[in-house]
Amino acid sequence: MTTIPMKRKSTSFLNKFRRNRIAYVFIAPAVLFMLLVHIIPTIQAFYMSFLDLNTRTLLEYLRAPFVGLAHYKNIIIGLTTGTGDALIKGLGQALTNSLWFTFWVQGGTLLISLVLALLLNRNFKGRGVARTLVLLPWVVPTFAVGIIFQFIWLQQGGLANRIFYDWLHLVDHPISWLIGPNTRAALIIPAIWNGLPFSTIMLLSALQIVPLDLFEAAAIDGANAWHKFRYITFNYLKPVIFTTTMFGVIFNFFGFGPYNIAVSLFSSDNLGKYNNLLTIAIVRQTFNNQLFGYGAAASVLVMIVALIFVGLWYLSFRSALTSE
Amino acid sequence: MKTSDKKRSFLSRKAQLRISNGLLTTLTWVLIAIIMIPILFMLLNSFRSRTDITSATAPLFPQIWHPENYTNMWKAFKFGPLFLNSMIVVGSTTVIATLIASMAGFALARFRFPGADVYSLAVSGTQLIPGTLFFIPLYLTFLWIKNNLGIPLVGDNLGAIVLYIGFYTPISIWILRGFFASIPVDLEEQAMVDGSTRFGAFFKISLPLAMPGIVSTAIYIFMTAWNELFFGYTLGVKTVPVGIRAFIQGAAGTQLRYDYMAAAAVVVTIPITIMFFALQKQFISGLTAGAVKS
Repeated sequence: MTTIPMKRKSTSFLNKFRRNRIAYVFIAPAVLFMLLVHIIPTIQAFYMSFLDLNTRTLLEYLRAPFVGLAHYKNIIIGLTTGTGDALIKGLGQALTNSLWFTFWVQGGTLLISLVLALLLNRNFKGRGVARTLVLLPWVVPTFAVGIIFQFIWLQQGGLANRIFYDWLHLVDHPISWLIGPNTRAALIIPAIWNGLPFSTIMLLSALQIVPLDLFEAAAIDGANAWHKFRYITFNYLKPVIFTTTMFGVIFNFFGFGPYNIAVSLFSSDNLGKYNNLLTIAIVRQTFNNQLFGYGAAASVLVMIVALIFVGLWYLSFRSALTSE
Repeated sequence: MKTSDKKRSFLSRKAQLRISNGLLTTLTWVLIAIIMIPILFMLLNSFRSRTDITSATAPLFPQIWHPENYTNMWKAFKFGPLFLNSMIVVGSTTVIATLIASMAGFALARFRFPGADVYSLAVSGTQLIPGTLFFIPLYLTFLWIKNNLGIPLVGDNLGAIVLYIGFYTPISIWILRGFFASIPVDLEEQAMVDGSTRFGAFFKISLPLAMPGIVSTAIYIFMTAWNELFFGYTLGVKTVPVGIRAFIQGAAGTQLRYDYMAAAAVVVTIPITIMFFALQKQFISGLTAGAVKS
């Protein structure tokens, strides 16, 4: 009795496999590239994080001396006590910087793009033109975004100081945007500017599926504008906010968009203590100082942080997404 | 209560609505103007002289325009070869990655094959791998292959093309699967009844029908690959972003050539702007379709 269904299952599996043979042909090239670029290197990276791979052992490749958890230990000591290997000292600072950077960029992008999407969803003259123009920052390559904002932040002749100092007299001396704590804003603002269009069109497309009769019903029930937004519009926006925020956080936390902007904005990858982001710090130690084993270990930790974030994010918002 | 009653006596409900509408429309245009300003300032600076750009007193609109910034920049950056390299790398990446992703997206949309769930999970899972994580071993492997087998994966366009195809395929599969799922399957079956093979039906029926999605995916890949700086820089590929970075860093110690940088920023933005706005309708509908449905 028990073997018969088993057998039937296995033959049906084989049948299924055979029937779908063509599907495997279709995915084969994509799988090949995924293996080459994502899966094999990721497995290697885990292994390399246990190796003493640096300038001297570079040519030994995977035969470099095995050091076990030494890199992880160094990193954790560095993160918790602020001491440890001088070369990897900046990592704790980079982590804090990256978390704040991600928070401000993602929060700013979401709020401003929400306002923009709601405004662009109204009926007004020239709406089509407005919707097209709002996409412009997206078209500018990230490394050009850095160049553009370098012009804006210049202390002498930069647009920001012309506006705040020369025209509006809001400050009593030209601000030095590219030195000291101001550099934080100098990097966050272009990152928000660059990310606005994507977020806006995603929210805008979600707004277009909100059924209008719901508003009429709500108006009859005496709901005010805020209630309509909170209980109708926002419910339809939630799924899009959920996904765009999740990916936005990941890309800002370990993606190369902020790296590109920062490197061309400051004309260097040595960004000082205010903008030393995680990706930038890891890249500098790994490729400039050729600490490949350390870089692999740090990257593994970054991935773990990202996975924890995605898991928590999903767990805390899943119910909100499905129940309504 | 009383104040609102008073207001109503001044202005009818309709007039109030018109005023608030007008204010909101004005606010919209103000925001759009703020968004546009950095781009306009870049354009302006690309025609100003280097001294004007860094002078607090120089007028915003130049008295003498300097279109020669562009030709000077082109020579100083050796822009021609950079542009050609970028076109080769980004062009071949776009074509190959779009084709590969179309096939995989089609398979995921049409077949419930054993392993489909694992595969689609793996496709989205790749997005959670930090770039540095897979790139460190990949770079060392490329170096090893170059040293031991002589295949120039470092310092040549080839390495960047391989990396970019793998890097941009997963997200493209994601976008395209939704597209193929929205195409009725009957048309393919009809073609197969008429004697087409599965491949034939895919190329003759499904691909053309999914064109809006394929075009948006191709634009997306082109835009992001055109942008890519870090991998290219480390692999020693001489693409436009890498060339510009090298020029800027080379000059960082002395005086930055702001006039050339502005011209370069304009030039790199032009090709994608043209492509983007020519195909904008398809692109937006293609990219948002999947997001809203799922």
